[in-house]
Amino acid sequence: MTFASCRHVAGAVLGVMALLTGTVAQAGQAVEAAVPSAIGYQPRDADERGLWMEMEEAERELRNSNFVVHDPALNAYVKGVLCRTVGEMRCSAARIYIVRTPYFNASMAPNGMMQVWTGLLLRTRNEAQLAAVLGHEFGHFEKRHSLRLFREVRSKTDAMAWLSFLPYGVGLLAQLGTLGSIFSFSRDMEREADVESIAYLTSGGYTPGQASAIWAQLRDEQDATAAERKVRSRKDKNGGFFASHPNSGERMLYLAALASSATAATRTGDAEYRDAMALWWAPLIDDQIKLNDFGATEFLLGRLAGSGWTSELLYARGELYRTRGGDGDFAKAAGFYRDAIALGSTLPEARRGLGLALLRTGAIEQGRTMLKDYVKLKPDAGDRAMMAMLAGGI
Amino acid sequence: MAREQPITVAKSSLTVKPTNDWNRWSRRPSKKGELWTLDGLNLNELTFFAGVVSGEALYKERNKKDKPLPKFDPKMLAPDIVQMFEASNRIILETSLFEIDSVEPAKLGGHDGVHFTYHYTIQADEVRRKGDARAAIVDGKLYLINFVAPAIHYYDASIAEVRAIMDNASI
Repeated sequence: MTFASCRHVAGAVLGVMALLTGTVAQAGQAVEAAVPSAIGYQPRDADERGLWMEMEEAERELRNSNFVVHDPALNAYVKGVLCRTVGEMRCSAARIYIVRTPYFNASMAPNGMMQVWTGLLLRTRNEAQLAAVLGHEFGHFEKRHSLRLFREVRSKTDAMAWLSFLPYGVGLLAQLGTLGSIFSFSRDMEREADVESIAYLTSGGYTPGQASAIWAQLRDEQDATAAERKVRSRKDKNGGFFASHPNSGERMLYLAALASSATAATRTGDAEYRDAMALWWAPLIDDQIKLNDFGATEFLLGRLAGSGWTSELLYARGELYRTRGGDGDFAKAAGFYRDAIALGSTLPEARRGLGLALLRTGAIEQGRTMLKDYVKLKPDAGDRAMMAMLAGGI
Repeated sequence: MAREQPITVAKSSLTVKPTNDWNRWSRRPSKKGELWTLDGLNLNELTFFAGVVSGEALYKERNKKDKPLPKFDPKMLAPDIVQMFEASNRIILETSLFEIDSVEPAKLGGHDGVHFTYHYTIQADEVRRKGDARAAIVDGKLYLINFVAPAIHYYDASIAEVRAIMDNASI
């Protein structure tokens, strides 16, 4: 099952068939042979075996994908958070694949194949938030949601096929109703997985309120995107009749309510999370800037800079403003690059960015000086020839 | 396309002379674009953009509301054009594995412009593709010729001819 529905499902039935989930036993229960996370668990009937077989094929492809992030330290960290959240015994049932894509999502297949997208890692702010996502996905797995959804879809689409024989559009309305009930079923399972995530958070010692915070942050980000584009926020363009997941606002509220009545645990793991992500901020922010979503990127950078603007974040902000290139943006960008350099940035790219921004503001001589610096600092740059020319010839 | 004959592309004054039997694709990448292929778009893709104006995106926007593409600005410097090209492709192809390899000054149709090379992979087929493009801004409008093909065999098979087409293009 996915953490957030990203795509509108036009071919609704096909979309539903693509939803995958797992199941969860209540956190705290002894692990029996009957739960998917148990060691030596085997799929129990033809349906489950079929799903696992398809997933094995999908996992084979995923393992060879160019998009999987193989960094051992990052992988060890994420796996470590899962094990802390669901317990050492259970977590070995899952294989985590970190996928390089700038969008916010995570998913879990019925055979234990878990995906976490790098766009999600850029948005979860601490270990507790990551734990909430991993716990939610693991919840699907333990409760065998994929299997239940598959059976639900199969029986209801049988019904829908028969309904098409009814005349005068009566059948169509009934079909839509049945289809709607499939999505409603899916949303119920998402809520179930959310409930499980709170239980996992508290048993892992994490602050349960962080699960709700993820959705508040995402909705704020969507507001920021819309504000910059001068359009209406799309934060509630989800969770409708044909949605696989409940509305994000609804999730934010019930997760907060569940957290308030859960045992108070206090680990958020801010520092640990930042350390684990230290080498990944630059490439992930680069991916994010290239999405052409100024509002969201500015919002995320501001949040990452919560405890202070580092030279890397200032460089990123320079890139963001220079890329947008609207009125006044080049001057602002130049300011950010300068601040980054003043804070000690040794990145040749900071000089490159500053040089290009200065050229665009009309400060030709200063711009050329900076570009000369860039070429000196990075003589093997792929764009050396171009920058040398723009610098007035080197 | 008739070989060795000058052909105007993208309903503009951009004229090129192919030496091979390229085929024009029925779908256009944008109002100002035209697409040619030899063996099918997955194997070789030669795109011509001509007369893109201020505020216009390079490609047809599939999802203007949620995934708007960057827009051309006639005041752009060469690196800005490359940046716009990269971001447009990352959004359209939905990939984070896109790298610009080289950027150097070059001429297109006799005008000062830029030549850049790049490579990328998309999740759908995991095939590594290489690209080569030439662009110039003429009278405030963008002209760009782009060639993409899988790194294995197809890029090398056509790149010499493609570069000749770009060298001899006239605007």
